[in-house]
Amino acid sequence: MIRNYLTMAFRNLKRHRAFAFINISGLAVGIASCIVLFLVVKYELGYDRFLPGNEKIFHVVTRQVYPDRVHYQPGVPVPALAALRNDFPEITTGTLHNQSGRQVTVLGRDPNAKSDQKFIEDSGIMFADPQFFQVFPFPWLQGSASMLSEPNVVALTEEAGDKYFGSWKQAVGQYIMIDNAVTLKVAGILQNIPANSDFPMGVVPSLVTSKNNPDLFGYNDDWGSMSSNFQVFMRLPENVSPASLDNRFAAFSKKYYRPGTQSVKSNYLQPLSEVHFDREIESFGDHSVSRSTLWTLSLIGVFIILMACINFVNMSTAQAVNRSREIGIRKVLGGKRSSLFGQMMGETGVMVFISLLLGLTIAALCLPYVKYVASIQESLSVFNTEVLLFALALAVLVTFLAGSYPALVVSGFKPLLALKNKFSSASVAGVSLRRVLVVTQFAISQALIIGTIVAVSQMGAIKQANIGFNKDAVMVLEAAGDSVVQSRQDAFKSALLGNPQVKGVSFSSDVPSSDNNWSNNFAFDHTEDQNFHLFMKYADEDYYKTFGIEFVAGHAYSKSDSITGWVVNETLLSKLGIKDPQSVIGKDLRTGATQWKPIVGVVKDFRTNSMRDNIPPLAIGTWKQVYSAAGIKISGDNFNATTAFVQDQWNKYFPEYANRTSFMDERIADFYKQEDQLALLYKIFAGIAIFISCLGLYGLVSFMAVQRTREVGIRKTLGATVPQIVYLFSREFTVLVVVAFAVAAPLAWYFMNRWLENFTYKITVGPGIFLLAILISMTIAWITVGYKSIRAALANPVKSLRNE
Amino acid sequence: MLELRHIYKWFNSGNNRTFLLKDINLRINEGEFVSIMGPSGSGKSTLLNIIGMLDGFNEGEYEFLGESVHSLKDKQKSSLYKKHIGFVFQAYHLIDELTVYENIETPLIYQDIKSSERKAMVADMLDRFQIVGKKDLFPTQLSGGQQQLVGIARALIARPKLLLADEPTGNLNSKQGEEIMELFSELNKSGVTIIQVTHSEKNAEFGSRIIHLLDGMIEK
Repeated sequence: MIRNYLTMAFRNLKRHRAFAFINISGLAVGIASCIVLFLVVKYELGYDRFLPGNEKIFHVVTRQVYPDRVHYQPGVPVPALAALRNDFPEITTGTLHNQSGRQVTVLGRDPNAKSDQKFIEDSGIMFADPQFFQVFPFPWLQGSASMLSEPNVVALTEEAGDKYFGSWKQAVGQYIMIDNAVTLKVAGILQNIPANSDFPMGVVPSLVTSKNNPDLFGYNDDWGSMSSNFQVFMRLPENVSPASLDNRFAAFSKKYYRPGTQSVKSNYLQPLSEVHFDREIESFGDHSVSRSTLWTLSLIGVFIILMACINFVNMSTAQAVNRSREIGIRKVLGGKRSSLFGQMMGETGVMVFISLLLGLTIAALCLPYVKYVASIQESLSVFNTEVLLFALALAVLVTFLAGSYPALVVSGFKPLLALKNKFSSASVAGVSLRRVLVVTQFAISQALIIGTIVAVSQMGAIKQANIGFNKDAVMVLEAAGDSVVQSRQDAFKSALLGNPQVKGVSFSSDVPSSDNNWSNNFAFDHTEDQNFHLFMKYADEDYYKTFGIEFVAGHAYSKSDSITGWVVNETLLSKLGIKDPQSVIGKDLRTGATQWKPIVGVVKDFRTNSMRDNIPPLAIGTWKQVYSAAGIKISGDNFNATTAFVQDQWNKYFPEYANRTSFMDERIADFYKQEDQLALLYKIFAGIAIFISCLGLYGLVSFMAVQRTREVGIRKTLGATVPQIVYLFSREFTVLVVVAFAVAAPLAWYFMNRWLENFTYKITVGPGIFLLAILISMTIAWITVGYKSIRAALANPVKSLRNE
Repeated sequence: MLELRHIYKWFNSGNNRTFLLKDINLRINEGEFVSIMGPSGSGKSTLLNIIGMLDGFNEGEYEFLGESVHSLKDKQKSSLYKKHIGFVFQAYHLIDELTVYENIETPLIYQDIKSSERKAMVADMLDRFQIVGKKDLFPTQLSGGQQQLVGIARALIARPKLLLADEPTGNLNSKQGEEIMELFSELNKSGVTIIQVTHSEKNAEFGSRIIHLLDGMIEK
C-alpha cells in the first residue's frame, strides 16, 4: 500500500508540476530559514554553557545608584577581592583582569632579545589568579593553574601559542613582553576557549604580575575606584543558592562601601547564564544579545514556516477539487477514509521531504553568510546530529501542519458528489478559512515590511545625522600610551605635518566619538560639587581643528602637557542652567580633587557616544600622560599613499610599538553593527516572507483562473470587458491585503516604537511609512495577481466554454 | 439477492418536495441480468446508486444478502459493498495517474490482500480480458472501449457477486458497445448478477429482465 501511495505521490508531483514547484519552493525556503535561525539561536543560547557545573558559577556585579540613574558595573574595586574572600570563606572566588588592547612582543627563548614580532591584541589578554580556574575549570594541556601564583608567568591558549611560536608545543619556557615593559615566561598551555564564550582568553598572565605593576595595568588598590576590567567570579558550593547570599551581600556592601556623595554602591551575584544576555552589564565577549532578540528571531522562524504551511494548505485544498474524481473512484473501489487520509498525508510527506533536502542544501549554502547578519565568528555546520534531528522534527511537524487539514477535507468527500465533480473551490474548505489564511500571511509580511522600512530609515537617519564633528578622512592610530611613546609624539607629529597631504594631527586620550565613558564628580565656579557627573576627554590643542569641532564661545587652550584650562560643551551649560556661553569663559571648574582651572572655550555639542546615548556634559583638557590615540586628518587626494606614509613614519619613530589603525567613519559605523545587522535581517526575512506569500497568492490566482474559466467565458459572451474581468480577480485580493494591513499596522507600530526606544536620536513612525508599506504590498499583490488574471481575461470565451 | 421495499427519495426546494424515487418495490435474484431503462431524469442512476449503497434514501427498506441496509451505518455499508459489489461507469472513471495494472490492482489494496496474491489475481484478470500487453499503459493511452474493458476488469477483480453498470456503453461506438454487452452476458452466465442502466433498447435485450422507470416510479 505504501509503495502504491509513493508512486501516486511522485506521479502527482510530476503531473501537477507547477503546483508542486510552488509548494516545494515555499516549504524549502521556510525550512532553510528555520534551520539557519535554529543554528543562530542555539549558538547564542549555548554561550558559556560548556563548562561542567556552569550553573554554580556567578559573576559579582556592582550596582551604583545615582540620584538620577542606576548604573550596573561588571567590575568591583580591587580591594573587594580580598574582602569577598574574607567574608565568604567557604566560596571559591576567582579574578579576571582584562588588559586587552595592549601590545605583545614575542621574544623567544632569550628574555632580553630584541624582536620585531609584535601584535596589538584587541582581545584575549586577561590576567588571572589560580582560583579563577577553580571557578572556571578550563582544561590545561600543559602546566596547571597553580603556576599562576607566580609573578611574570603567562599561560597561552593553543591558538595564541601557535600564533607566537609556530606551534603551542614549543611555547612553554619561551618569553613574551607586554607593552615593551613586562617580560613574561610561558608556563602553561590552555585548551582553546570555545568560540561561544564570553571569556575569550588567549594570553593569561598571572594576576600577581598586574598587582606588581599597578600603574601600568591600572591595578588600583582603592575602594573608591572601579574598572570594568577587574571582574570577580564565584563558584558556589553545591548546597548554597545565590538567594541565600542576598543578605550577606547587603551586609558586605554596607560594611565596605562608604556612602559617597554621588552614588550608593552594592554588590550582587549575576548567574553565568545571564552574562551573555544582559545588555546592561557588559561582558568580556565581543557581543551580548538580549533574550528578546533571540525570541524575535525564533518568532520570525515560526512565522516563516507558518506562512509556508499556510501556502501549502491553501494550495492543496484548492487543488483538491481537481482530484475529487480520483478520490471518488477510490472510495467506490473500497478505499476507507483512513486509507485516503494516509495517502494524502503520504503525498504531503514526500513533498515535505523533498523540501527538507532542498532546505538543508539552501541552509548549508547560506551559513557562510550568517556572520554578516549575526555576531557569530565560528563557522556553523548544518550536518550535525542536533540540526538533523531538528530538521527531521520540523519536517514531521510541517507535514502534519500542512497536510492534515487538506487530507481531512479530501478524504471526507462524499464519493458520489466527488465522482460527479460537484465540488468547486468555493465549496471546499470554506472560502472564509482560506481568506483567514491569506490575511494571516499578508499580515505577517506587511508587519515585516513595516519593520524593515522603520529599521532602514532609522539607520539611514543615524548615519546622516549631524554628529557635530567631521568624521571623514580621519585616520586614527592607537598604541600603548606610555612615556616612551609620549616623548616621541612631538617629533612624529612634525614629521607627519611635513607632508602637505596631512592636514592636521592631534593626540588625545580618546577620539571624539567612542564607547568610552570616563566620568568624574566636579564643581563649577567655586561652589559645591554638582549632583551629576562630568564626562572627560583629554586632548591636545589641535583636536578641534583635526576633527572639525566648532566653538560657540572662546577658543582652544594652548599647548601644554598638563591642564591649563577647559573646553566644555553646550550640554554642560544647559545642565548648569547657563544661557549665554560667553558668560562662562574664565569661570573655574574643578574635577574630582584636582585644582580649579578656568573654562577657555565652549564647543557645539557633538556626539561623544553612539546615537543610542544622550550627549553628556563634557569637559576637555590637556594631559599628555593619557594620550594614546593619534587622530590624523588627511586630504582625499592620494589617500592610499598618504596612509602608507603615515605608517612609514610610525615605524620610523616607534619601531618597537605596534599600532591599531582605523578610520573615524568606519569606527562610527561600527557603533551600529548590531542595529545594521538587525536591519539587514529584517530585510532578508521580509523578502522571504514576501516571496512565500507571493508564491501562495500566485498559486491561488492561477487556480482560481482555471476554476473560473467557465464563468469568465460566460461573462465575456455577455459583454464583459477585459478590465472588468481583471477587476473581478483582483478585487478580493485587494480587500484581503487591506484587511491584513489593518491587522499588521498596529502590531508593527507598537514593536517598532519599542525598538526605537533604544535610541535617543530617532525617527518618528509616521503615516508615510505605513503608506509606503501598503503601497509596496499592494503593488506586489497586484503584479502577482495581474498576470494570471489578464491571461484569463484575454482567453477566447468560445474555447473556454467548449471545454465544458 | 436483494430486495427494495417502498423506497422513496426526495429533496425539498422551498415548499415543494421533488421526488426522485417514489415507492420503488424491486426484488432481484442471484444470477439475474437486469436492465433499467427510462428517459433522462426518470431516476435510473439514483436507483442504481441506492442499490450500490453510494447514495441513501429517505424512506423504505433495503435488504441486501439478508442484511438490512437501511439500518446499517456508513462504515458497515461501505464494507458490505466493498466485498460484494463491483461498479462500472459510463465515463470509465479510471485513475489517470495509475497504469492499467495499478488501476485493476487498487480494489485489492483496499481489501488488504497480500502483494503476491494481488499479482496473481491481476495477471489472471489481464489474461482473461486479453490486455496483458497494455498493462503498463496509462488510461489516456487507451481507446474508449479498452478503457471500459479495464474498468470492468477492475470491477470484477475482487470477485463481486453483483456488478452495477451505469450506462457502460454510453461513451462507446456501437461495435465497442456490443463487445462489452457480450462480455456482460458471458459474465452473467458464469454466475455474476448484473444490473445495468441503459438508454439502448438493443443493449437492454442482453438482460434477462427489463425494468422501466418513469418519473421515479417503476412502470407496470
